[in-house]
Amino acid sequence: MINLKGIKKSFNKSEVLKGINLKIEKGEVVTILGPSGSGKTTLLRCLNFLEKPDGGMVQIGNIKVDTEKATKKEMLTIRKQSAMVFQHYNLFAHKTVLQNVMEGLIVAKRVKKKDARYRSELVLEKVGLKDKLHHYPSQLSGGQQQRVGIARALALNPEVILFDEPTSALDPELVGEVLSVIKTIAKEGITMVVVTHEMSFAREVSDRVLFMDGGVIVEEGTPLEIFHAPKEERTRRFLQRISGDSFFPPLKERVN
Amino acid sequence: MTIDIPFIWTAFKEIIKSLPITLILTLVPLAIGFLIGLTVALVRIYKTRFLYQAANGYVSFFRGTPIIMHIMVIYYGIPLLIDQVSSKFDLNIQTNKIPIILFVLIALSLAAGAYLSEIIRSGIISVSTGQLEAAYSVGMTKYQAMFRIVLPQALALSIPNFTNLFVGFLHTSSIAFLVSEKELTGAANIVASTNLKFLEAFIAAGIVYWGLTIMVEGISFLLEKKVTSYSRGGVS
Amino acid sequence: MGKAFDPSLIIEFIPTLFHYLGVTLQILAASIFLGLILGVAAAIPRMFKIPILNQLVILYVSFIRGTPILIQLFLVFYGLPAVLQIIKIDVSKLEAIYFVIITYAISNGAGFSEIFRGAIRAVDKGQTEAAYSVGMTSTQNFFRIVMPQALRIAFPNVANSVIGSLKDTSLAFTIGVMDMMGRGDTLISATAHALEVYISLSIIYYSVVLLFEKTLGKLEKYFNRYQKADLSAAA
Ligand SMILES: Nc1ncnc2c1ncn2[C@@H]1O[C@H](COP(=O)(O)OP(=O)(O)O)[C@@H](O)[C@H]1O
Ligand SMILES: [Mg+2]
Repeated sequence: MINLKGIKKSFNKSEVLKGINLKIEKGEVVTILGPSGSGKTTLLRCLNFLEKPDGGMVQIGNIKVDTEKATKKEMLTIRKQSAMVFQHYNLFAHKTVLQNVMEGLIVAKRVKKKDARYRSELVLEKVGLKDKLHHYPSQLSGGQQQRVGIARALALNPEVILFDEPTSALDPELVGEVLSVIKTIAKEGITMVVVTHEMSFAREVSDRVLFMDGGVIVEEGTPLEIFHAPKEERTRRFLQRISGDSFFPPLKERVN
Repeated sequence: MTIDIPFIWTAFKEIIKSLPITLILTLVPLAIGFLIGLTVALVRIYKTRFLYQAANGYVSFFRGTPIIMHIMVIYYGIPLLIDQVSSKFDLNIQTNKIPIILFVLIALSLAAGAYLSEIIRSGIISVSTGQLEAAYSVGMTKYQAMFRIVLPQALALSIPNFTNLFVGFLHTSSIAFLVSEKELTGAANIVASTNLKFLEAFIAAGIVYWGLTIMVEGISFLLEKKVTSYSRGGVS
Repeated sequence: MGKAFDPSLIIEFIPTLFHYLGVTLQILAASIFLGLILGVAAAIPRMFKIPILNQLVILYVSFIRGTPILIQLFLVFYGLPAVLQIIKIDVSKLEAIYFVIITYAISNGAGFSEIFRGAIRAVDKGQTEAAYSVGMTSTQNFFRIVMPQALRIAFPNVANSVIGSLKDTSLAFTIGVMDMMGRGDTLISATAHALEVYISLSIIYYSVVLLFEKTLGKLEKYFNRYQKADLSAAA
C-alpha cells in the first residue's frame, strides 16, 4: 500500500507539487496523465526520494516517513521499497544486461550472487531477452534496453514499480513490445504507477487514472470515468487535444 | 661544429641506463597522485565541509605554479623543517643523508595529485546523472553508487586524459636533473659535458623520450579500446 | 644548506624578482604569437592532406609531443647554431632569450596546429551542408561559417596552452636567460636563502597564473555569449 499526504515540492520558488494526496492499494495499476510540466515526473521522483519533497508524508508498505524530518537512512529504506523504470532507460552503461539486473539484488538486497543470477535470468526470460544476457546496453535497441530496465526493476520484487514515460523515447515501431511486457506484469498483481501518454494503454491496463495539471491531481477515476465522462473541463480539453490530433488532419495539410 | 652521428648511438647506450630512474620518477608520483587525486576529487564533488576549501586551494595552487617550484620548495624546505624539529627535540636526524629522489617524488606526487583530481572530477561530472539515479532507484547508497556505477565509467572515460598526464609527467621528470638526479636528462647532461658533445647527447635523450611516449600512447590506445568496449554498440 | 628560514625575506624578495616578470612575459608573448602563425601553417597541410608536407607535420607534432620541453630547449640551443653554420650564419653571439623564444614557438606551434585541426573538425558537418545549401562556395563556407565557430571551440584549449607556456618559461634560466628564475638564482648565490626565493617566485607565478585564468575565462565567456548557457538543463 502506498500513501502520500500533502506532498509539496518547489524548484526555485515555483511550486511544482502543491500538496498531493494519494492512496494506492496493493496490486493496483495507476496511470498518471497530464500535460508536460504538470509535475508527473516530480511526483514519481518524490515517491522514491530521488527528489526530496519539501513537505508531506510518504508511506510505502510499512515504512512511513515524514519528509521534513527524513534522515538519509529513512530515504534509503523507502527507496528500497520501490523500483523505477526511466524514460531514457538509464541502464548501467558499463555492465551487461545480466549484470544490470543482478546489480541491485547483490548490492542493495544482499542476495547471494548465485541466487541473484538465477533470479535475473528468470526475469530476463520473462521480458524476452534470454538471448541477450551478455550484451552491453549500447548493443541493444531502445525497446530491448527498456525491457532490461523493466527486468531490473522487476527483479527487486519491490512494493511498487514507478514508470516514467517508459515508451516516449522509443521509435514508434518499438513501443508495442515494451507496452506488452508492462501489460503482462500488470496482470500479475504488481503495484504500478505509470506516467504515460499512451491513451489506449492507460484505458486497457489501469485500475485507476489520475489527471494532473499545475501540480495538483485535478481528477481521478476509473478509465471509463476519465476517458468517457470527465467531470473537469481541464481533463476534457487535455484528452481532446491528445486524441484530436489523430482524428483531424492538421489544418496546413488541408489548405495545400 | 659538425654532428658526430655515431656518437649519438654511444650516448644513447649510456643514457638508456638511467631509464629506471625516469620510470620511478614517473610511475611513483602518478600512483600516489592517483590516491590523492581520487580523495580530493571526492571531497570536491561532495563539497565536504572545511576540507572542500582546502582541496580547492591545493588544486588551484599546484596547477597554478610551475612544477619546478614544487620541487625546489620541497627540496630546500623539508630539510630545513626537519632540522628545526630535530634540533628542538634532539633527534639528531641528518638531513643530508636523505636521498634527493625522495624530495622529488614528494613534490611530483603532490603535483600529480592536483592534476589527477581535476581529471577524475571532470570524469565523474561527465557520467550522466541518469546513471546515478538508476543506481539510487535500485536501492544503492551514495557510496555504492559512486564506487560501483559512476567511478568505473568516469575512469574509463578519463583514459585519454590519464595518458596525456602520464606523458606530461614522463617529460616533467626531466626537471629532476636540475637537482642533480641522474635520470635520462641528467645522464644526457653528464654524457654531453664529459665528451663536450651536447647536441648528440640531447638528440639521443630526445629519441629515448620520443620512443617512450609513442609506446605509452600505443598502450593507452589499446587499453582504451578494451576498457570502453561497452560503449560501442553494433555487435549484436 | 642555506641559512635559517626567514619569512620576512619572502616579502623582501618579491619586488626584486617581480622586476624581471617583463622578461618572462616577453618570452611568452613572442612565443605564443609565433606559435599561432606556425600552428596555422602546420594545420593547413594536415587538413588538406598535402603529400609530404602532411607527413612532415605529423612527424613534427609527434616529436614535440614526445619530448620534454627541456630537451627541446637544449636541442635548439646547441643544434640551431650547428645547423645555421652550414649555411654560414653565425648565431653564436645571439642572446639566450632568442633560443628560448624559438623553442617555445616551435613547441606551441605543434600544440596549436592540433588544437586548430580538432576545432575545425568539431564544427558540426550540418553547418557546412547548410552553407552549401544557401549557395556558398567552399571558401566562403570556411571563412564565414566554419572558422568563426572553430575559433570559439579552440579558445579554451589555446588559453590552457598559454597558461602552460607561462609555467614552462620557468625553465628558460637553464640556458642562462635572466628572467625571474635567473634572477632568483643570482639571489640565491648572493644570500643563500633558496627556500625564501622559491616561495617568492611561487607567489609571483601563482598570482600571474590566476590573473591570466581570470582574464582568459572572461574572454571565453564573451566568445560564448550567443551559446545556450546550460545544455544539460534540457530534458
Ligand atoms: N530539477 C529541477 N530543477 C528545476 N525545475 C525543475 C526540475 N525538475 C522539474 N522542474 C520543473 O518542474 C515542473 C514539472 O516538471 P515535471 O515533473 O518534469 O513535469 P512532467 O513530468 O509532468 O512533464 C516543470 O516546470 C519543470 O521545469
Ligand atoms: Mg516527465
